[in-house]
Amino acid sequence: MRKLIEFKNIVKSFDDSLVLKGINLSIHENEFVTLLGPSGCGKTTLLRILGGFISQNEGHVYFDDIEISNVPPYKREINTVFQRYALFPHMNVHDNIAFGLHIKKQDKQMIEQKVKKMLKLVNLQGYEDRPVTLLSGGQQQRVAIARALVNEPMVLLLDEPLGALDLKLRKEMQVELKKIQQEVGITFIYVTHDQEEALTMSDTIVVMNNGEIQQIGSPTDIYNEPENRFVADFIGESNILEGVMLEDYKVKFDDQTFECVDYGFEDNLEVDIVLRPEDIDIVPLDMGRIKGVIKSAIFKGVHFEVVVETPYREWIIHTTDKVELDKEVGLHFFPEDIHIMYKMGTY
Amino acid sequence: MKGYASLVKPYILWMSLFIVVPMLLIVLYAFTTSGNELISFRFTLDNFFRFFDPVFIKVLLKSLEVALITTLLCIIIGYPIAYIIANASEKSQTLLILLITLPMWINMLVRTYAWISILSDGGLLNSLLGFIGLPQMKLMYTDFAVMLGMVYNFLPFMIISIYTVLAKLDKALIHASHDLGANPLQTFLRVVLPLSLPGVISGITLVFLPAVSTFVIPKFLGGGQYMLIGNLIENQFITVGEWNFGSAISLIMAFIIMASMMMTRKMDRDASENTGSEGGKLW
Amino acid sequence: MVGAKSHKVLIFVLMALILTFFYLPILSLMVFSFNDSRSLTSWSGFSLQWYEALFKNREMMMAITTTLSIALMSTFVATILGTLAAIGVSKSKRLVKEIVLSVNNFPILNPEIVTAIGLMLLYSSLNIQKGYMTMLLAHIIFSTPYVILSVLPKLRRLDPDIAEAALDLGATPLEALWKVIVPMILPGIISGALIAFTMSFDDFVISYFVSGNGVKNISILVYTMSKRINPTINALSTILVVIITVVLLIVNLYPMLNKKKELKEAE
Repeated sequence: MRKLIEFKNIVKSFDDSLVLKGINLSIHENEFVTLLGPSGCGKTTLLRILGGFISQNEGHVYFDDIEISNVPPYKREINTVFQRYALFPHMNVHDNIAFGLHIKKQDKQMIEQKVKKMLKLVNLQGYEDRPVTLLSGGQQQRVAIARALVNEPMVLLLDEPLGALDLKLRKEMQVELKKIQQEVGITFIYVTHDQEEALTMSDTIVVMNNGEIQQIGSPTDIYNEPENRFVADFIGESNILEGVMLEDYKVKFDDQTFECVDYGFEDNLEVDIVLRPEDIDIVPLDMGRIKGVIKSAIFKGVHFEVVVETPYREWIIHTTDKVELDKEVGLHFFPEDIHIMYKMGTY
Repeated sequence: MKGYASLVKPYILWMSLFIVVPMLLIVLYAFTTSGNELISFRFTLDNFFRFFDPVFIKVLLKSLEVALITTLLCIIIGYPIAYIIANASEKSQTLLILLITLPMWINMLVRTYAWISILSDGGLLNSLLGFIGLPQMKLMYTDFAVMLGMVYNFLPFMIISIYTVLAKLDKALIHASHDLGANPLQTFLRVVLPLSLPGVISGITLVFLPAVSTFVIPKFLGGGQYMLIGNLIENQFITVGEWNFGSAISLIMAFIIMASMMMTRKMDRDASENTGSEGGKLW
Repeated sequence: MVGAKSHKVLIFVLMALILTFFYLPILSLMVFSFNDSRSLTSWSGFSLQWYEALFKNREMMMAITTTLSIALMSTFVATILGTLAAIGVSKSKRLVKEIVLSVNNFPILNPEIVTAIGLMLLYSSLNIQKGYMTMLLAHIIFSTPYVILSVLPKLRRLDPDIAEAALDLGATPLEALWKVIVPMILPGIISGALIAFTMSFDDFVISYFVSGNGVKNISILVYTMSKRINPTINALSTILVVIITVVLLIVNLYPMLNKKKELKEAE
């Protein structure tokens, strides 16, 4: 796939606070990229720099290998779906969608055709004459997407577009957005703080924190191979512990040595270790590698979230089996379930 | 809880006596002959017929003309100012709005009176003209002076009502418009201007209404001979003593104002129906 | 968007022009109050004689007293009347509410001169001699509607259960009103009172038509004196401008100063 957008060493500060600390990122054609991170991590700022609504203090933005930092937003082949949609309240659905085409003075018939096509794409046929203020949140969302896509941009930016919707609608729209992206075949850059959303839709996830990129990778990479404690913690629930990498394939934590599949670290390096709750099994006392007592078990719909206490820590474990409180049990996991990470700031 | 509703009763009585009765009295006087005895009043339309004299019609038209031009001037000057303020930093916005509203707290007569010394023959403005070598101009007691006085007095209302709407305008809409390829001018014409119309319309009512009915400004800056409909009414009540005719003129004026307000409000409603926006809520 | 430099210059020039337009008359008025001669156009030297003349002028001092006393009294009555009426209106049936509010809007939407002659006709029909009391009554009449309009929105936002909770806890309706409702709508009452005060303080048109017997407020005095131009008016106006500016500055700066103080105390 061809490289479409490149951020080079982007630095941005507001007043005295540094929001982006030198971002380097390439985005490809036809890719669904998600910028994921807690609020204040700089993801929306990066998106707005690409949209042209704010300009960076340092660094360059290239679009198709051409520097676009000084191109005003209305001349960029990029369109945005805004956080609260920003639909024009004085226009109906049709006129909102047709706005960009009218501005470009396109042929009337052409406009009608394109608007119709868009309404079909977002499943809003027959809503042309509705005032946008009378639409539900989900419908407004669709209009906002149609209004942006009708201009046939090469890139669509989406700034937490599902944040205002309820859970069920959000799930539906996630699927629909992915479908739309595959249908129109352009690059989507999606900003969210919801890790589940990111895992569901993206080809590539860019995890950000404190104005820095923490990890770039596919959803499976990010989930299974978090690069550091922050990513592991942010993506799903985890048991994160500290340990020492004794040598290749051997890690020590909680005063025990375990086999693992990681290698290439310095010997005796202090590391962070992740064990996903669903990778740990609760087994009879004598079959476990670690022994503990079941402290609590909360039913979460599909699985139980069980807390097991050992002399060193409390483990979070997801299991579908019923467990008995205060029972002494063993914990079991395989070498490949142990994931070793460099401590933050040391790599 | 319901008991509190009875608190409105004294005010209903008060309103009837001090708001409704005076209105009815104006109507009564307008439709009766003079002769101050209320018992012996006689119904007539003469007071209205009398108004359809070219002399009075001319006064009415002049008042409407002056008020209309004043309103237009206020829009032309006030809109850019409101736009600039609404786009300034938050601190400057507070300061500028304070600076614009501060003169409104000073007695209107005093403010209007202050223009006399600037506009008069040997006044500040003419000295300035002389200083840069231009011929002296007669400024006082002209249409120019009257309209200047009106713009001076009513412009802050226009600025404030446009500013309130512009300041509330979601900046994301402007970004969205740019994002969709509209340049700044197109964005202004297609997004900002239509959305700020409710502010302009409420500004129009706030300027036009007092501009039609004022009699102080024409008297101070237009001179004793300058007649607008407000002066006409004042004369009937204060100097001539023709209360019946004066009441009839007031009714005609109130009717015209009501009609024009209904028209602008309809415009406003049409505008906000199209938009479904909350713009019209300034009132 | 970041504009070009010429853009910023243009904006600056426009704002400077408009502010000159607003403040030039006020400044010239103040400057000539210190003029040595009678002229309002040519400067002949600094003097305080017009201020002396002002304080020696019985008519002017009377006008100031009248303006202030009427503004204070009418504000007091209009605030109470308007607040009670607003509470009543908010609890009334829809029809009553609509009728009362549309009649209440009459004096606000009508040109002042129409309200003025209406009251003038009322006084004359009832054979009331025009003077101080008629002016005071008129001021209460035209400022009460503004109090109602400024209190109503606060009542609308008031939780209807609040008063009931007070009654439930044993308060009489009057106590509930005084101890619960009034404190919660106090900002609306205060802003209503402020509007009433400035309306009364600045009023000319209505006072002009309903007063008589030599009773004059400042506006009427300026109006009648304008025919014989005299810098004592400038002196009076200058004092008014200074007082108003100081009050406005305090009102606007007070919250800021308070904040600073809080910050300091927090440290």
